[in-house]
Amino acid sequence: MPKELIKIENLTKKFGENTILKNISAVVNEGDVISVVGPSGAGKSTFLRCITLLEKPSGGNVFLEGDNLVGKSDKELEQVRQKVGMVFQNFNLFPNLSVLQNLTLAPIKVKKTNEAQAKKEALALLEQVGLADKADAYPESLSGGQKQRVAIARALAMKPDVMLFDEPTSALDPEMVGEVLDVMKQLAKDGMTMVVVTHEMGFAKSVSNQVWFMENADIQEKTEPNQFFEQPTTERAQEFLSKILES
Amino acid sequence: MKAKLSILITMMVMLFGTLGFSQISPAKIHASDSQDSTYKRIKERGYITLGTSPDYAPYEFQTTQNGKSTDVGMDISIAKKIAKDLGVKLKIKNMDFDSLLVGLQTHKVDMILAGMNPSPAREKSVDFSNVYYNGGQSILINKKDAGLYKDKSSFVNKKVAAQTGSIQYNLAKKQISGASVTGIEKGTDLILALQTNKVDGVVMEKPSAEAFAANNPSLKVIKGGFKLSGTDSSTAVALPKNSPVLKVHINSTIKEIKDQGLIPQYLKEAGSHLKSNTVNTSMSHYWKFFALGVGYTLLISVCSVFFGFLTGTLLAFMRLSKNKIFHAIAVAYIEFVRGTPLMVQLMFVYFGLGLFVNLPALTAGIIAVSLNSGAYVAEVIRGGINSIDKGQTEAAQSLGLSSRDQMRFVIMPQALKNIWPALGNEFISLIKESSIVSIIGVTDLIYQLKIVQSDTYRGVAPIVVAMVLYFVMTFSLSKVLEHYEGKFNHA
Ligand SMILES: Nc1ncnc2c1ncn2[C@@H]1O[C@H](COP(=O)(O)OP(=O)(O)O)[C@@H](O)[C@H]1O
Ligand SMILES: [Mg+2]
Repeated sequence: MPKELIKIENLTKKFGENTILKNISAVVNEGDVISVVGPSGAGKSTFLRCITLLEKPSGGNVFLEGDNLVGKSDKELEQVRQKVGMVFQNFNLFPNLSVLQNLTLAPIKVKKTNEAQAKKEALALLEQVGLADKADAYPESLSGGQKQRVAIARALAMKPDVMLFDEPTSALDPEMVGEVLDVMKQLAKDGMTMVVVTHEMGFAKSVSNQVWFMENADIQEKTEPNQFFEQPTTERAQEFLSKILES
Repeated sequence: MKAKLSILITMMVMLFGTLGFSQISPAKIHASDSQDSTYKRIKERGYITLGTSPDYAPYEFQTTQNGKSTDVGMDISIAKKIAKDLGVKLKIKNMDFDSLLVGLQTHKVDMILAGMNPSPAREKSVDFSNVYYNGGQSILINKKDAGLYKDKSSFVNKKVAAQTGSIQYNLAKKQISGASVTGIEKGTDLILALQTNKVDGVVMEKPSAEAFAANNPSLKVIKGGFKLSGTDSSTAVALPKNSPVLKVHINSTIKEIKDQGLIPQYLKEAGSHLKSNTVNTSMSHYWKFFALGVGYTLLISVCSVFFGFLTGTLLAFMRLSKNKIFHAIAVAYIEFVRGTPLMVQLMFVYFGLGLFVNLPALTAGIIAVSLNSGAYVAEVIRGGINSIDKGQTEAAQSLGLSSRDQMRFVIMPQALKNIWPALGNEFISLIKESSIVSIIGVTDLIYQLKIVQSDTYRGVAPIVVAMVLYFVMTFSLSKVLEHYEGKFNHA
C-alpha cells in the first residue's frame, strides 16, 4: 500500500456565480506522476492552485500528508507550502535576483539554512538541470527553456515532497520544450511525486503512471496512460483526443 | 494670492483662536500679579519675543554685523528699550508681515513692531499700544519720471503698488482715482517693480520711502497728498488681547521715548546701517547668505525626503492592507493632503499644532513638507507595487516566504526600480516646494534671497543667483538618481 501524499475531498471552487471546480475528489500517492490534461478553460490551473491554497477553495478539503490545509491561517500555510514545489507556465523567476539568489532565497529565509550550505545545494541543483555556468547570470539574460529549468531548480531547492507543474512548456519556443521535458523525466525517474498539467501528450503517455482528464469543472476520467490514449471511456475524452491528434 | 492667504490665516486664527484661549485660560486664573498671562509668561521666562518682518527700512531691516545678519532699525531699537525697561531679554522672530498677527495670537511672539498701523480691523484681533511714531505717507517714483508726477492726483490710468494688506494699499485703492493698484508682499519687491517699470509709483510710509530713495539714486520721493484719518499713518506696538499689564509697561516706555526725543536718534542710527549696508552690493560679497540658504534648503529637503519616504511607504502599505480601518485612514489622509495646498498645511503645523507644542519654525517646516510629500510618495509606491506581476507574489508564496519577506526581497526591489524615476521627480519637486517654509521665517534659500534683496537694494541679481543655486541642487540630484537607476539596470 503506497503512502497517500495528497487527498482531495469534494473540492469546489466558485468565482462569483461560476463554478469552476465541482465536488472533485482525488488522491496522489507517493511516487505518482500524474498528467492532468483537458481543454483550456477546464479548470486545470485552478485545480492545481487550490491544492496549495494559492486559491481558497469554496468547499471541500485538501489534505497534505494527512493534514487538512483548508481553514489554516496564512502563517500556517507558509509552513505547508514549502513542502509543495510549484512551477508556473510563465516561470515567475525573480528578475531582481541572480539565478543563484533565486535558488537560495527561500532556503535561507524560510528554512534558515546557512548561506554557504544553501549555495552549495543550489549549485548542485543547477548542475542537475545543466545550468551551473549561469549561477551569476540574471533571469533576463536567459532563454525561455533555461528560465524554466531554473524555476524547476528553485522549487527543488526547498526539497519538496511533491512538485506541481502548470503547463511548464506552453510558453516555450518548440525547440526548447525538449530540454525542459528531459529535466522533468529525470525527476520522475528519481522518484519525485509530480502532478503535471500539460498539453505534451508524448510526456503524458511515456512518463506518467496516471492521466486525469478534466473538463466541465470535474475530473472526468482517471486512468492509466495506455488505456487513456487507446481506449478512452468517456465521449468527451475521445473528442478531446481526436482534436489533439488532428492538430 | 496675497488676499487669499490673509483669508486663510484669518480662518485659521478663528479656528485655533478659540481652541487656543480655552487652552491657555487656566494659566490666567491663578495669575497673582494680574489678569495678564502674557506678562507673567514673559517675566517667568526672562525674555520677550518680538515678531517683525525685517524688509522695511528704516523701521526694520537686516544688516551684516561680524558676518552675521542681524535685525536693525527704529522698531528694533524701540523693542530693545521695551525689553530693557521690563527687565528681560529680547528675542526676535522674523516672519512674513502677513503671518505676524496669527503669530501673536498663537503666542509664537509676545509683541509686534513692524511699522504696523493700529487699524480698526486689526484691533478686532489684537491690542495696540499708544502710537509711537507718525510718519506720513509718500509716493516713490523713478527719478526719470519726476516731471510727470506731482502727487496722488497724477496717476490717472497709471499703475500704483503698495504692500499687500497695508494701510498704504487701502489708501491707494480708495484715494488714487483712475489708477490700477497692485498689492505686493515685500518692500524690496515693490522697489523692484518700480525699477523695472512694472508700476509707475509705490505708496509707502515717508521714512521708508526716503530710506529707499537715499540708497537708490534712480528713485525719488514725492508727497502723497492723501487725506489721512487719525491712525492712517501712525505706528504702534501690537500685543495679544487681554494683556493690560504689558500694555501699561510698553506705553510708559513709549512715553519716555517721546519725552526724551529718542525717535530721531533711532532713525539716524538706522540710516547709518543703511549706508554701511550698501558699501558692497556685489553678489559674491553675500555668498555667506546664499550658502546658509542652500544649507537650510538642503537640510529641509534631505530630512523631508527621508521622513516623506518612510511616511509614504507606511501609507502605501496601509492603503494596500486588507484591514479596512488602516485602508480608510490611508485613503483619507492621502486624499486630504493632496487636496489642500502645502502652504496651508505648513501654517496648520506651525500655528495650529504650535498651540499645543511649541515647534520651532524649522521643525514645523520639516514636518509639514514630510507629511505632504508622504502622501504623494505613498501613491507612487502603491502604483509601483501594483505594477508587479501577480505571478511574482504567487511564486514567492509557493516557496513558503512570509508576506513580509515577499514584500522585502521580491516585490519592493522590483517596485522601487519601476518607480525610481517618478520618485526622483517627487524629490526634485520637494526641493523646489520646500521654498514655501520661508513664510514662517525658516532661513532657507528663498528667505536669504529676500534678505539679500533688501540688504543690497538690488532686485534681479539675487534672484538670478538663487535660481542658479536651485538649478544646481535639482540637477545634481537628478544626476545622482540617474546613477542609481543605472545600477538597478545592472541587476
Ligand atoms: N481569478 C479568477 N477569477 C474569475 N474567474 C477565473 C479566475 N481564474 C480562473 N477563472 C476562470 O476559471 C475558468 C478555469 O480557468 P483555469 O483554471 O485557468 O483553466 P485551465 O487552466 O484549464 O485553462 C476559466 O473560465 C477562467 O476564466
Ligand atoms: Mg491553465
